[in-house]
Amino acid sequence: MTRKQLRQRAQQALLYLLVILVAIYALFPFYWAFVTSFKTENEMFQTAAYLPRNPTLQNYQYVFSGGSFLLALRNSALVSSAASIFALVAGSFAAYALGRLRFRGRVALLYVVLSMTMFPAISILSGLYTIVRQLGFFGTGLSLLVTYPIFTLPFTVWVLTSFFKGLPAEIEQAATVDGCTPFQTFRLILLPLTAPALVTTGLLAFVQSWNEYLFALNFTATNPSAQTVPVAIALFSGEFSEQEPIAEIMAAAMVVTIPLVALVLIFQNRIVAGLTAGAVKG
Amino acid sequence: MLSTAQSPPNRNRIMLLSAAMMLIGVLGIVFFFASVANDAAIQFVLNWTPSESGEQAPSLLLVFLERVGIIVSILVVSAGIFFVVIGWRLRLGAIRVAYWARIGLIWLGLGASAFIALEIFNSFNSAAMDKEAVDFPALVSTVLPALMLALFAFALWRWLSNNLEVIFSGEDSLLGRETRLAWNLLIPTLTIFVLVAARPLEQTFIRSLTDKRFAGSAVPQFVGLDNYVNLLTIRLDTVDCKKSISDGPCDTRANGSIRWESIDRELLREGFRTIFNLRLGDQSLAISGLDDDFIEAISTTVIFTVISVALELLIGLFMALVVNSKFRGRGAMRAVMLVPWAIPTVISARLWELMLKDTSAGIFNKILLDLGAIEAPLAWLSDPALQIPTAIIVDVWKTAPFMALLLLAGLQTIPSDLYEAASVDGANPVRRFFNITLPLLRPAIAIALIFRTLDALRVFDLFNVLFGRQQLSMATYNFETLVSNQQDGYASAISVIIFIFISIFAFMYVRLFNVES
Repeated sequence: MTRKQLRQRAQQALLYLLVILVAIYALFPFYWAFVTSFKTENEMFQTAAYLPRNPTLQNYQYVFSGGSFLLALRNSALVSSAASIFALVAGSFAAYALGRLRFRGRVALLYVVLSMTMFPAISILSGLYTIVRQLGFFGTGLSLLVTYPIFTLPFTVWVLTSFFKGLPAEIEQAATVDGCTPFQTFRLILLPLTAPALVTTGLLAFVQSWNEYLFALNFTATNPSAQTVPVAIALFSGEFSEQEPIAEIMAAAMVVTIPLVALVLIFQNRIVAGLTAGAVKG
Repeated sequence: MLSTAQSPPNRNRIMLLSAAMMLIGVLGIVFFFASVANDAAIQFVLNWTPSESGEQAPSLLLVFLERVGIIVSILVVSAGIFFVVIGWRLRLGAIRVAYWARIGLIWLGLGASAFIALEIFNSFNSAAMDKEAVDFPALVSTVLPALMLALFAFALWRWLSNNLEVIFSGEDSLLGRETRLAWNLLIPTLTIFVLVAARPLEQTFIRSLTDKRFAGSAVPQFVGLDNYVNLLTIRLDTVDCKKSISDGPCDTRANGSIRWESIDRELLREGFRTIFNLRLGDQSLAISGLDDDFIEAISTTVIFTVISVALELLIGLFMALVVNSKFRGRGAMRAVMLVPWAIPTVISARLWELMLKDTSAGIFNKILLDLGAIEAPLAWLSDPALQIPTAIIVDVWKTAPFMALLLLAGLQTIPSDLYEAASVDGANPVRRFFNITLPLLRPAIAIALIFRTLDALRVFDLFNVLFGRQQLSMATYNFETLVSNQQDGYASAISVIIFIFISIFAFMYVRLFNVES
């Protein structure tokens, strides 16, 4: 083996070591939730064990009994998909305007969008409650659809704006020469080029909506058929004990995390796709 | 030149359109104020007669601000003025103005259509909830005018679109075209902004000037800036240390810290509490405030934010670089990396609560005991000295993936030929990182930092689940005043201060990274 090969081997080994390190860091608490979800209620108070002593499926049975959890999963999937699609459409429109078009008030509007993230959700909860009531959306998934942009839109707009800005100016000039209107340039040329950013922000928006708790609790808790997953889990009552049903909550956590992991697996290739097409060269 | 381009029939059409636009604007403003005056709550105040029970009269201004507000009024009036001005300037037949008229008409039509959809949805929804038949006469009476307005706007828009270039003439600049497109594209975002951010925040601001109780029936009254004064008053006093023997050394506590005299009794009676003693020789500077919990919550939150965001950036960058290199199972690894972020905070906070139990039933203590790193289990969640570090550990674990994903997307925009060129020139990986990766990643880092910092300053779920009232962040303090103490007015003032505080942070950040240019 030459020295160069040896060095490459060593670099490979180091890389895999780092990968394993990241995996353990990210997964250990998840592993713990996984293990806990198979434990009995009694075991929670004994010295922690790396594997359940008497593995049981009763926590999962509890989660799926009654079918309300499946309904919550469906609600969450609907609300989060709709919210992230809306964030991507409205966000990419706004980002194109803020990142590529010249007009007065551009910088001020960037701050206006950012200002949506400058107060805790609790600050506007009662104000939002009034508005959701006035719109007649209280107790329906629509209440979440109108309120979730408050956290999905600002970062979608900002991330996409910075991506649009990063694209070379020659693209638009070439498109204008070819007779594209500005909107055509946006839809046919710039948007495909920002695919990695679109997928990234779409995923982040989806996860944020999927995990949102405060609005969901206040606007849908009264209507069991509109509850989302975090609310359904929080409303688990300890049927098997007076204690907080931690093992059941962990079983539910397993169930809700799997769709998200699948989603990332499906979309992760797209994160790298974009600029490799060579569209920028030449 | 304009007059030669306008034949008499075109001139008449322009005058009609101009008149229609101005009419829409004026009628819109008139209709808005008429419906405000007819609002049930405002009518109630106008017709209010003092009863014998001696209740205070509700403030008309307060009710108006609660029901309608300044932002909506300004928007409606400026939309009306927009129509009038555009209508007036249309007379000259310039094509630039006609384009703007078209934008006004299409959004008017869309707005009216949205209103119709909302009304129909509402009446069917409420009928379904009360299990009654839909009240069609009432529905028609509200929907019909809106429907006529929508049809009128769409018809006018259609007609204008078809005839625009025939009737109107003149120069249109590229800048004008870009400005119009920009506003068209921004309207959905701005509508959402007004609806779910500006308007609720305005209500919070108004309430912060009152003594409103949460879920109370008492009529709120203006109290001026009292809430703010109470939250922000701070005074500095010098106090001596406690001495059990006069002229002897200062008394100390078991942990070696010096015991200080408390501030003046009179001040304690006024409500001042000491937050922090700054030692100056044998004396100390006592920093006291009327609301010591709030000042402490601010400092807790700032410490938490600075440390956790810094750690998240380092770990997130590390993760992004690792999953950006080529190795087998990279796709699966990207999913693995995101798992902490994918677990809802309400659940992951519970999970950490479980892992951090203060007995050997908590896995953290168990591992550390097994490794011999600690002698006895630590009380991660209840020991005040460990609470903030614990919160930081949990937050970093949860949100580093968010950072990593944003940075990973940023890494993708760096062309690989740059690295190849650098390798050919003999730059080692460390130099390539500092000379290529880091500078080109700057925009992505800036945005990730801004959003993470603003998120961390607003931290709520984590502190609420892990510590309850034991250790307060700004947002959980806000929550406690609102929900536990029912002080809506006071809680609103807290919200406004948090908003101003965070916006200063945001502004500095944006300036520092020069993101806007």
